[in-house]
Amino acid sequence: MNPIIWLIPVLPLLSFVLLLLFGRRLKEASAVVGSLLTLGSLILSVVVFMGQWGGASVKQTAEWLAIGDTVLTVGYEINPLNALMLVIVSFVSFLIQVYSKGYMHDDDRFPVFFAYLGLFTFAMLGLVISPNLLQLYIFWELVGVGSFLLIGYYFYKSEAREAAKKAFIMTRIGDVGLFIGIILLFWQVGSFELDAIFDAVTAGDISQGWITLTAILIFVGAIGKSGQFPLHTWLPDAMEGPTPVSALIHAATMVAAGVYLVAAMFPLFEASEAALTTVAVVGGFTAIFAATIGLAQADIKRVLAYSTVSQLGYMMLALGSSGYVAGIFHLTTHAFFKALLFLAAGSVIHAVHTQNIHEMGGLWKKMKWTAPLFLIGAMAISGVPLLSGFFSKDEILAATYADGRFGLFWIAVIATFLTAFYMFRLFFLVFTGESQGKVKKVQESPGVMVFPMVVLGILAVIAGYINTPVTPILDDYLAQNPYLEIHHHESYWWIPIVATVVSLFGIFMAWLVYAKKKVKRLSEASPDFHFILLNKYFIDETYDYSFVKGTRGFSYFWYYIDRFVVEGVIQLVTGAVGWISKTSSKAHNGQVQLYGSVAFAGMAVLLLIVAWLGGYLT
Amino acid sequence: MTLEKLLSYDWGIMAPEFTILIVATLLSLMDLFMPNKTSRKPLALLGIAGVIIAIVFSVLQIGTEPTSILFDTYRFDAFALAFKLLFLVATGLILLLAIDYEGEREWEFRGEFFYLLLTALLGAMMMASSADLITLFVGLELLSISSYILAGIRKNNLHSNEAAFKYVVNGGIATAITLFGMSYIYGLTGSTNLYEISEALTNPAVEQNAFLLVMAFVMLLVGLAFKIAAAPFHMWAPDVYQGSATPVTAFLSVVSKSAGFALILKMFLITFLSVQGWHNAIILELQPYIAVIAGVTMVVGNVVALRQRNIKRMFAYSSIAHAGYVLVPFVSLSLLVFKMTWFYLLAYLLMNIGAFAVIQFVTEKERSEDFTAFSGLYKRAPWVAVMMAVFILSLAGLPFTAGFIGKFGIFMSSLGTGHYVLASVMIATTVISYVYYFNILVQIFFRKGEVDRLLPSIGLLIVMIICGAGTIFFGIYPGAAYDFFQEFDMNELFIK
Amino acid sequence: MSSVPLSVYLVLALILFCIGLFGALTKRNAVIVLISIELMLNAVNINLIAFAKYGINPSITGQIFSLFTITVAAAEAAVGLAILIALYRNRKTVNVDEMDIMKR
Repeated sequence: MNPIIWLIPVLPLLSFVLLLLFGRRLKEASAVVGSLLTLGSLILSVVVFMGQWGGASVKQTAEWLAIGDTVLTVGYEINPLNALMLVIVSFVSFLIQVYSKGYMHDDDRFPVFFAYLGLFTFAMLGLVISPNLLQLYIFWELVGVGSFLLIGYYFYKSEAREAAKKAFIMTRIGDVGLFIGIILLFWQVGSFELDAIFDAVTAGDISQGWITLTAILIFVGAIGKSGQFPLHTWLPDAMEGPTPVSALIHAATMVAAGVYLVAAMFPLFEASEAALTTVAVVGGFTAIFAATIGLAQADIKRVLAYSTVSQLGYMMLALGSSGYVAGIFHLTTHAFFKALLFLAAGSVIHAVHTQNIHEMGGLWKKMKWTAPLFLIGAMAISGVPLLSGFFSKDEILAATYADGRFGLFWIAVIATFLTAFYMFRLFFLVFTGESQGKVKKVQESPGVMVFPMVVLGILAVIAGYINTPVTPILDDYLAQNPYLEIHHHESYWWIPIVATVVSLFGIFMAWLVYAKKKVKRLSEASPDFHFILLNKYFIDETYDYSFVKGTRGFSYFWYYIDRFVVEGVIQLVTGAVGWISKTSSKAHNGQVQLYGSVAFAGMAVLLLIVAWLGGYLT
Repeated sequence: MTLEKLLSYDWGIMAPEFTILIVATLLSLMDLFMPNKTSRKPLALLGIAGVIIAIVFSVLQIGTEPTSILFDTYRFDAFALAFKLLFLVATGLILLLAIDYEGEREWEFRGEFFYLLLTALLGAMMMASSADLITLFVGLELLSISSYILAGIRKNNLHSNEAAFKYVVNGGIATAITLFGMSYIYGLTGSTNLYEISEALTNPAVEQNAFLLVMAFVMLLVGLAFKIAAAPFHMWAPDVYQGSATPVTAFLSVVSKSAGFALILKMFLITFLSVQGWHNAIILELQPYIAVIAGVTMVVGNVVALRQRNIKRMFAYSSIAHAGYVLVPFVSLSLLVFKMTWFYLLAYLLMNIGAFAVIQFVTEKERSEDFTAFSGLYKRAPWVAVMMAVFILSLAGLPFTAGFIGKFGIFMSSLGTGHYVLASVMIATTVISYVYYFNILVQIFFRKGEVDRLLPSIGLLIVMIICGAGTIFFGIYPGAAYDFFQEFDMNELFIK
Repeated sequence: MSSVPLSVYLVLALILFCIGLFGALTKRNAVIVLISIELMLNAVNINLIAFAKYGINPSITGQIFSLFTITVAAAEAAVGLAILIALYRNRKTVNVDEMDIMKR
């Protein structure tokens, strides 16, 4: 056993245990303990990651349990994909813990918060290094528990309690699918080991129908965790948790676990065209669907939440279009810029004490660090050239196009436009214009919060260069996995141009609509320009009616579908359970003779059926 | 029967039973001659000592060849030993719980409580060991009648009186139904020995009367389903569990239920396994009925538990649901049936007794059995709260706990034999169960309650620690329990 | 010699059993409920004795079994009555349908 590898998840677990036991005494020093231990994981992860360059996969297992002939094992496996994930998870987790030291300052359950973060990081790292599906499933659930605890951290708020419950139950629905998928795979292959499953798939031991069925069931688990349609509704609600949690769990790591799962099981998905199509269609649909909802939200964190859903949709679309590298690439860059956006949003909320973007405005001058960093994040996610999001999004578009799904390709292009539009709507409303808020003395956040944002800001700019058409580092790195065939599609010179034009157009539109108020006031002050400005206004109005209203209507349409149809089905199921529960507990009226009679009736029915089936009643 | 014959028996194999019998007698005599005002707590310690001695005897017996004495009515084999160990461990823990049970002022008859617990245990052990319908029945009744009194032992408490009476009436009906089934089996075979019955049932004369046999089977099943509180024969359980003193509730839900399962496995697998019904082996033909009972039990237990506010009542329904889970391996009837059942009962023993220890602690301090009594427990007694979380997570079947391993094993064995519907019911109802289990957790961790610190007494603490450590240990390293079970060769059960 | 066939005994036992069950499930008076349960147990005794004499393999075991049944039934009745008396002291009623303080 290589101690470097198993120590990676154990260090955060240690932090969890230590803080749970001694948190009361450590008080705010808990942050130092938590951060240092996570830093330890980060350093070890980087060592492991470095070892993966050109090195072969490492796998080590020990027997855990034997049921009959089946031997279940525990252990770890390191391959290029999960070494990369280890670094991302421990890195973001470390930065978030540093940031939380400032953000959670003065919270009276400070140590508990860091204990939960330790538990979550442990579970997430454990999930990533699992060599078999059973171990993966166990950590998958544990990640859900960590997420539940952190969403419900402000448990005295009823919204937070409800959101935590909803998140847990909604993701459980996906988990049931995943579990059935795992069990069916076990039944077909006779093993939970990923290698054994891939070998069986490659050797053709499993029929095509089973491959498709199990792949789709596993994808159902990914749908739940990664907030894909129709199980996405918990993710926006989960924003009730503290903002660092939103950045860590609901932007960078846990929600990416679904994408990771599909990527880790990619040989299975690749073997079934139908499964890939499902992944691509669900991903593409989620990408555009969530983006339209994002247009109409007023809560800064909810806009980011829908944006996360939409970006995860992109990743799924990439994977579904056989763009394995593109999906992982976007996962990596997204982890950085979305964490940055959330942290910046947290910094804004920290300063103005509201989450409503209409109550913000004019923060550009007051928040000298946060504002430019948010701008970097917004540019990266919008796909402004030469920032990280530009390269990864191009990869996805190219993969989708190369796969021949032109409909999905154009949906992705439109979603790009929408992404740029709502991100800059957010930017203009929050940072430009007049201050609408009540808090007059807005202060920049402390250094301990700015530092992680700066690091993430730098990465949001440069992370894209690990896989440009000129420097395909990630491509070569991930291609080391023996079970994978990396599809190298030709590069299309026109796709980056289209993407750039579309996203710049989105930013421009956002500027027209949400920065226009200045222009309007100018028009009233200077009658000379009235004619031109009127024309401008006319364009704006046309645009407003034809486009904004139209999209807004579209957005509401989906919002209500989401609200009434999807939630309705869930209500129906819970209602049915509630009804059974109510009637049968009413039957329990305390009369002992009724109890006896029910039992007698049960026996009589049994006897009658036995007699009838036995042919004694004819 | 001459004296030589009597002396020639290998009485040594009954050492655990004798220990319990002697200790119970001793306790009853001491209780009789002790001054009225004296505390009866030392009696419990003696009882625990007796149980520990019996455990030691049993452990020493591991590996002994199967032996029958007393004209084959008492049979020692690995099956009996494995289950007896469960009963002994559970009773030991419950005695520890009972030492510190304060109850209300009517709790002055503790002496009786301790030796009745031991006689009930003796009944359960006889059930596991007997190979004859008569001794089986006597063991069953020894357990039942002791339990009736235990349920009503708080004789000035109205709830307790009512619980005991309901238990007597329902238990009496169940006994009569079981006996009626037994009388038909005796009539068809002319014997009460289980092994002779199994031989005689293959007689062609029996096959002509297959209907009587099937009726007997159904009646036996129904009578025993009462014992394990499987739906629709479960309705007595919530009332009885609610009304009894908490240690008694723990005893009923763990030992009494496990004994019921031991009896079901033993009786049906020995006598009916090789018998033909009208198309097929009778046990296969009746499998769907047991499957339906198991399914209904899981659904009813979990769904009705959702609406309970009284914590003991909620746990009664939870225990009904668990009976449904344990019936699943019996339905799927793979080679692993004993292993799965035994491990699940072990896990259930640990998590349920642990949970009842916490329930007793909280309900006594709060003087309330409403589940809101748990609110803010994490602030008041953090360690107890964490323990309770472990027990509840285990009952809910989440990973790293013994409950998960047990449920997982049962689930896999039912899939392996193709019982997909039952497996799906199990998953679906498990998901439902999360709701009420997590409601308790929400109370413990997320609700604000009183602020004063609470400290559990030594006895409760020991129970909680043993159960908590066991739940986690067997959740992380179940191999220990499986390897231990490997020592017991279950095939011995089928060798005459 | 014996002109009464086995089936008649069995039917008699079944009828007794059903009467007992009916009484146990419908009578309001708790004493009668307990007596009805005794009736059910006695029906079993008739079965056992009949089988011991006229069964497929007649043997003495049935009679022994019925001795045990009688003993156990007596114990059960004694305990049942004791519990009923305790209940009566606190509640001043023997009506089964008034015993419903625990429900839902």
